[in-house]
Amino acid sequence: MREAIHIEKPWFSASLKEWIFTTDHKKIGIMYGITSLVFFIVGGIMALGMRVELFNPGTQHVSPDTYNYFLTVHGALMLLWWAIGIWGAFANFLIPLMIGARDVAFPRLNALGYWTFFAASVIALITLIPGNQIMHMWTGYPPYSANPNSGLTALFVFIWHLTGAASIMGAINFLTTVVRMRAPGIGFFNMNLFLHGVSSMNLIQLLGIPSIAGAVTMLFLDTYVGTNFFNPAKGGDPILYQNLFWFYSHPAVYVMVLPAFGVISEIVSTFARKPIFGYKSMVVAIWAIALVGFMVWTHHMFVSGIPDWVKILMSYTTVLIGVPTGIKIFNWVGTLYRGAVVYKTPMLYALGAILMFLIGGLTGIPLGLPAFDIAVHDSYFVVGHFHYVLGMAVTLAAFGGFFYWWPKVTGRMYSEALGKLSFWTIIVGSNVLYFPQLIVGLSGMPRRYYDYPVIGEWITLHQIQTVGAFVLAFGILLGIIALIKGTLSGEKAPANPWMSNSLEWRLPSPPPPHNFDEPPKVEKDYCPHGYCKF
Amino acid sequence: MARLTALLLGLITAALAEEVSAKDMPAALWDTLNEIWLALSVVIYLIVAVPSLIFMIKYRYKRGEREMGDQEHEGHWGLEALWTIVPLIVVIYLATHGFAIFKEMRTPPKDALEIKVTAFMWGWEFEYPNGKKVYAFFKQDKDAVKGYRAQEFEKPLLPVGRPIKVNLTSKDVIHAFYLRPAKVVQDAVPGRNTYLWFQVNEAGEYWVFCREYCGTWHSRMFAKIKFVPETEFNNWLGGKTALKKTDEGGAL
Repeated sequence: MREAIHIEKPWFSASLKEWIFTTDHKKIGIMYGITSLVFFIVGGIMALGMRVELFNPGTQHVSPDTYNYFLTVHGALMLLWWAIGIWGAFANFLIPLMIGARDVAFPRLNALGYWTFFAASVIALITLIPGNQIMHMWTGYPPYSANPNSGLTALFVFIWHLTGAASIMGAINFLTTVVRMRAPGIGFFNMNLFLHGVSSMNLIQLLGIPSIAGAVTMLFLDTYVGTNFFNPAKGGDPILYQNLFWFYSHPAVYVMVLPAFGVISEIVSTFARKPIFGYKSMVVAIWAIALVGFMVWTHHMFVSGIPDWVKILMSYTTVLIGVPTGIKIFNWVGTLYRGAVVYKTPMLYALGAILMFLIGGLTGIPLGLPAFDIAVHDSYFVVGHFHYVLGMAVTLAAFGGFFYWWPKVTGRMYSEALGKLSFWTIIVGSNVLYFPQLIVGLSGMPRRYYDYPVIGEWITLHQIQTVGAFVLAFGILLGIIALIKGTLSGEKAPANPWMSNSLEWRLPSPPPPHNFDEPPKVEKDYCPHGYCKF
Repeated sequence: MARLTALLLGLITAALAEEVSAKDMPAALWDTLNEIWLALSVVIYLIVAVPSLIFMIKYRYKRGEREMGDQEHEGHWGLEALWTIVPLIVVIYLATHGFAIFKEMRTPPKDALEIKVTAFMWGWEFEYPNGKKVYAFFKQDKDAVKGYRAQEFEKPLLPVGRPIKVNLTSKDVIHAFYLRPAKVVQDAVPGRNTYLWFQVNEAGEYWVFCREYCGTWHSRMFAKIKFVPETEFNNWLGGKTALKKTDEGGAL
């Protein structure tokens, strides 16, 4: 096909100028991906720095301020650049391919969104310069964040504003694209679950970001202009910030995890060579999570002094999230039943993500009960819980997605042996790192501690974690090498290496610049999940 | 059957009640919930993981024999309803049981001794009903890097075997009071009054940590509370031991 339309080179071999001024959704997707991955590595290196410091009690290598800076930036980068940003990459590249469109609805807005995200990245890098550091954690709770000792709060506020603006641009764009530009025959109940994942994600972004934008703007005014929104001495209330912050930042967890669910669904059904089990209940579950996700935010504030009845109310809504999440997990298991499971690297990552996400979910349920949370709030148990969800489920799904769509993106197959090795290294390293966090948390170890007292089992548990962190880092490195090696010297990828029925696999790998020569026609009973029918 | 259930329930509650009386509060209540959760989690994990592993092995791809899955197998409303309704019942049960326990955790007994704790960067001020104040904060000198060393002032004392209600507030930023054996956390928020209560039944020195990030030395914001028999506590509270040193501490 490429020969027929006189394009000799793949679409990504463009000049630097073309990359900078591009409005092509595939190029912008790649740029999101590279940016996210770079910051994922930076955030990971900072985590290694913290783990080295925590290997023994007492001060060894870094000062408390440096440690607090590492922790702040590790949190911000891993959440905003990795767990949210990486789905910008997948969404950009895949949405038009999956719905049979030539580009997204607003290509220039899309480019502006990326460059806004890039500007936020520059600000994140500016915080690396000594003197510009921020040390009030990614949550930036006032009154401490309004205290000059906590670093340059302005940079923190601008990071939120810019990533938030980029996310809103992306959200408008992706939602419009999915609603308005689907090829005939692709409807709400037969489009890819990944599309449901990113659509619900973007709806949350659209509704939630104004709240966090307001919170950090008030924080900015309090810090630099002398207003008193959060200053208790002048009648303000620091708890107000927490409400506004978590009204977005809890649903933001679903921003990170719903697209991951989508990717897992794509991979599991493809490699089980079988339609996804319970498609409709999967769709309902995704949207139910997005909806109920807005009604649970105070579980981050169970010990902050809010009224007890609010805690009880939100404890019911919080554990309720477990029901649609459970439906998804059971449906994935149901998909394996009577399948023909092919164990390629993406499938290993997806299955690993499911089994690890289950631990994240099961440790999340008690955190939704104020009676349980009262002992483990702000402890390492919480750290372990969200690392199982974000560090494992989301990261494994993202890497699974990398391997799965790598042939489509680059036109080359990745290295299968290295890919599988990277999976096993990551899964071992992650569990050695995160499981002891749960145990040390139940034993009372507070989070965000640069140092800890000499309590026998704490030392052992921290040392195990540090070992796990290095194994994990090595696994990530192997995964990245497997992908890069594939791009440079991999076999040429066929159009549909996995025999998936989804629309993006009907294009050559890599797809031509305009994707589809003519609006694609799908079969009458088109179902994107299942064994190739075309 | 009903009688058997009643008997079993009775036995369980009796066993739990016996345990509760000997343990610290609210840690004992928390332990109950923790055990229920842990048991449920293991069961749920197995319910998912065991069939997954069986399917992964049994239905793996075999060339020429099983090259594609069953294309007609797309769902089963009965099963899907089952794994919606059962988890719904489980989580509603957990939230309701948690609610009952939480109510108990948040209701201090009437005979509780009330003290006031004010958090500051980075330490604690303990104020007793008779106005006596004790300060606890870490020693921030050139050897600060070495680890957890307290100032050599007197330690805050509390009586064992007696419920204690702590009224919390903060002087500067948000902190959180956590007493390790009692397994209870509450934020100390400037401009607000919060509370928690606990009871420790064994004499000894126990860690108090700050659990809400509060700046550079958040990790060293600790106190060691010494729990002593009630008579000893009363003597200490009435006496004038080391009051002078405490004042110096306050000046710092």
